[in-house]
Amino acid sequence: MANWPASPNLIGKSIPRLDGLLKASGKAKYPSDVRPEGTLFGVMLYSPYAHARVKSIDLSPAETMPGVKAAIAIAKAGTPLRYQGDDIAAVAAETEEQARDAIRAIKVEYEVLPHVVTEHQAMAEGAPEVFKGSNIRNNSRKGRSQTKGNPEEAMSKADVTIEGTYSLPVITHVCLEPHGLTAKWEGPDKLTVWASTQAVQVVAGELADALDIPVANVTVLTDYMGGGFGSKFSADVWGRTAAELAQKAGKPVKLFLDRAQEHLAAGNRPSAAGKIKLGATRDGKLVALIATTHGTGGARGGSLFPLPYVYDVAASARTHNEVFVNCGGARAMRAPGHPQACALMEAAMDDLADKLGIDPLEFRLKNLAPGDFHTPIYEGEVRQGAELIGWREKRKPRGQNGGGPVRHGLGMALHQWGGGGTQDKKVSCTINPDGSVELKAATQDIGTGARTILAVIAAEVLGLRPTDIISNIGNSSFPPGQPSGGSTTSPSMAPPCLDAVTRARDAMFKKVAPTVQAAAEDLELRNGQLYVEGEPIMGWKEACRKLGMASISETGSAADGLASVGVGGCQFAEVTVDIETGVVRVKKIVAIQDSGLIIDRLTWESQVYGGVIMGLNYGLFEERIMDPETGVMLNPDLEFYKLAGASDIPEIVVRAYDPPDQKARGVIGVGEPPTISTAAAIANAVTNAIGVRVPEWPMTPRNVLNALATASKEGKA
Amino acid sequence: MRRHDPNNNNGGAPGHSRRDFLRGSGLAAASAVLTGGATAAVEEAGAVQEVGPKVVSSAVEITLKVNGQEHKATVEPRTTLLDTLRNRLDVTGPKRVCDRASCGACTTIVDGAPVYSCTTLAITCQGKTIETLESFDVGEKGVPHAFHQNDALMCGYCTPGFVTACKAMLDKNPNPTLEEVRKGLDGNICRCGTYIGVLQAALNAAKAMKGA
Repeated sequence: MANWPASPNLIGKSIPRLDGLLKASGKAKYPSDVRPEGTLFGVMLYSPYAHARVKSIDLSPAETMPGVKAAIAIAKAGTPLRYQGDDIAAVAAETEEQARDAIRAIKVEYEVLPHVVTEHQAMAEGAPEVFKGSNIRNNSRKGRSQTKGNPEEAMSKADVTIEGTYSLPVITHVCLEPHGLTAKWEGPDKLTVWASTQAVQVVAGELADALDIPVANVTVLTDYMGGGFGSKFSADVWGRTAAELAQKAGKPVKLFLDRAQEHLAAGNRPSAAGKIKLGATRDGKLVALIATTHGTGGARGGSLFPLPYVYDVAASARTHNEVFVNCGGARAMRAPGHPQACALMEAAMDDLADKLGIDPLEFRLKNLAPGDFHTPIYEGEVRQGAELIGWREKRKPRGQNGGGPVRHGLGMALHQWGGGGTQDKKVSCTINPDGSVELKAATQDIGTGARTILAVIAAEVLGLRPTDIISNIGNSSFPPGQPSGGSTTSPSMAPPCLDAVTRARDAMFKKVAPTVQAAAEDLELRNGQLYVEGEPIMGWKEACRKLGMASISETGSAADGLASVGVGGCQFAEVTVDIETGVVRVKKIVAIQDSGLIIDRLTWESQVYGGVIMGLNYGLFEERIMDPETGVMLNPDLEFYKLAGASDIPEIVVRAYDPPDQKARGVIGVGEPPTISTAAAIANAVTNAIGVRVPEWPMTPRNVLNALATASKEGKA
Repeated sequence: MRRHDPNNNNGGAPGHSRRDFLRGSGLAAASAVLTGGATAAVEEAGAVQEVGPKVVSSAVEITLKVNGQEHKATVEPRTTLLDTLRNRLDVTGPKRVCDRASCGACTTIVDGAPVYSCTTLAITCQGKTIETLESFDVGEKGVPHAFHQNDALMCGYCTPGFVTACKAMLDKNPNPTLEEVRKGLDGNICRCGTYIGVLQAALNAAKAMKGA
């Protein structure tokens, strides 16, 4: 926000979130906590097979079970089931236990079909087909080739080249609150739902369409929600089904997925694999990149990712194949495509730097786009990060990290993200005669602190404390708000919020000025006081009483120059690797992040810490494991689907890169960027420690030992 | 989560050993129910309560003492404490996430010790003192305040479990080192990545509680 705030009281300070105590005392009611009078429990029946066709389905044994009030078939005879977890039917009963029993009583005859659940299976000659399609061969759809310059010629002229094959597995979102909603019909065409969603208005629109009722009669409420990470934009089949069950039963229905369904059907991050050839001049200038990549988004597409990534390569060619498997469909996941792009690109960068014999930090700086707006920002960030991790003092060239079983290594990676806002969102601000201030917008707080950020902006303008502001979001009937995705929420919502509150304040000044014998332009609000010509004359509440009986309500819109787009950022990792057990321990991560004007430093830092920790999970632990024989997922739970616990968390140093020119850029989102480069930096640190590339993520003992064994066979280690 | 606590066997409130857990409150009873033997489940429950065996099947009414108040609830022998709290009593602080004792979001304090309420049967909790975080002090000396001030939460869905585990840990070990805090909270999982705030909140809460 270019000229705002001139001298901030609150903006940029560390402010605890408004709803933090409610969340920390168990009193915040999440959609999955809501249970209106008479609520029935919905449970879904889903496909136990990776690939099958429904031959027949009979709900009647379930319908007569104790407590069962409604049952709905989603699949019919002949419906193909394309993955384990595909929707078949749903039941609503008085207790959840009864609903689960009833689900087991549904009689389904399946024609089990041959499946493919790994890319390897899918791409084999003569493999069973997930889909039929004229442009699909061996379950692969050839993506568009992207070519810049003449890469073959440039590569042939390169002084030094490397060719590497790298891959990342499919991982799942693991939102702790499951997907789902509670549906309550208020009348024949009027519906209220409490949904765990990152887009209340999208869900309202989808439900209205599916149920053929006016969207104005659908209210979606999301006061709090337990994580989305890109997987909760839709009402989904289960949301619509809950509403239909409620309609049929004449009672509210609460339907949230179980943990296995979450892994199987509620979204995942596509895998990524690629063969990358990278060439440079002897002094370390990139000249060519040639890459063949593929990935799978299950029975859906979506595995494309950007390449080249971050760095300036004069000539490049890249082809991508979309591979289909009998697994649940991919959904956007925190910085879609970027962690994969970053991992592959940064691994190749490190491998080429090693072959060139150049410090990988210097090699990276040398290959930033000359003249690009972001190049000096990256340079500043890399300098700061290098100092904080001790790059100069501690880093040794690859493979020169001692002779004992525990090796030590450092690695780094750079990332990029957009994070800009939309221009069509609104916020309303009401100032009441009793002094209360209410903001309304149909956005929602996915955990980033969106609710608090709006209150901080209002408090800044009105000279109040953030806790004086009632920040009402998570209601689809409020003024149009931004879905919580792509780091777009703050830059979309902050400008209209500032506009709404400024308008409301000015309208208040206009009404109050005559009552204090002053001109509106001589009024000011600071420290909870109304000032006239620089002198405090009354408190906020007293000033509001001058409004008489009528509240002031103003709606604000976006304005140019208050938000911006485009961030960089870099991360450094320090690890130890036990070459006998393959166990990697991350000792320290340094994250330097730019993101324009920071509204609340506390929640900003939490986003960056959280991004790093999620990246550490991608780097060390996470992997969806499919069984090729049976076609089922082997770890649809939280004991074998590994996530970091408190003892896995290293020292994490977070720094905002925010000199004055950054602040002048205005608000930019920070949800995605800090999770992008962590896994890449960790892998580069592991490689630096043990002297050989671990080409497969995550950096599990298995993958580390495999890399060491391969290198040993080739006589490299 | 207590099993990581080095002080587990050195006095303080009795912990749940694996053997106790298998024998009494959880898996043995659950598997008995799954194999159709509600009687066996109740025998197990009875053994823990040291009262005579009583046959229980299908829906039964039980009384649970939650946060100092007696509540009646109709449950089945297989109904977990968590589902009783959430689905019947609207005590929704404890959350259902993994539903199989991996993530700690459902952590509840039973007779002074933290348990995974998703794998504890409700019928085994009759006559016991059940505390959820809704009953905790929300003032400046309480654990929730420390979590709030340190932004030890984002989406907040794991938070009730962490707060409860933290309170139980500090009740037993009021002066934990950072390493002890890590171990004490290792039975809980956060997806948003709030651990830095959580560790700091636990240390701050320990200090604040001593000032109580």
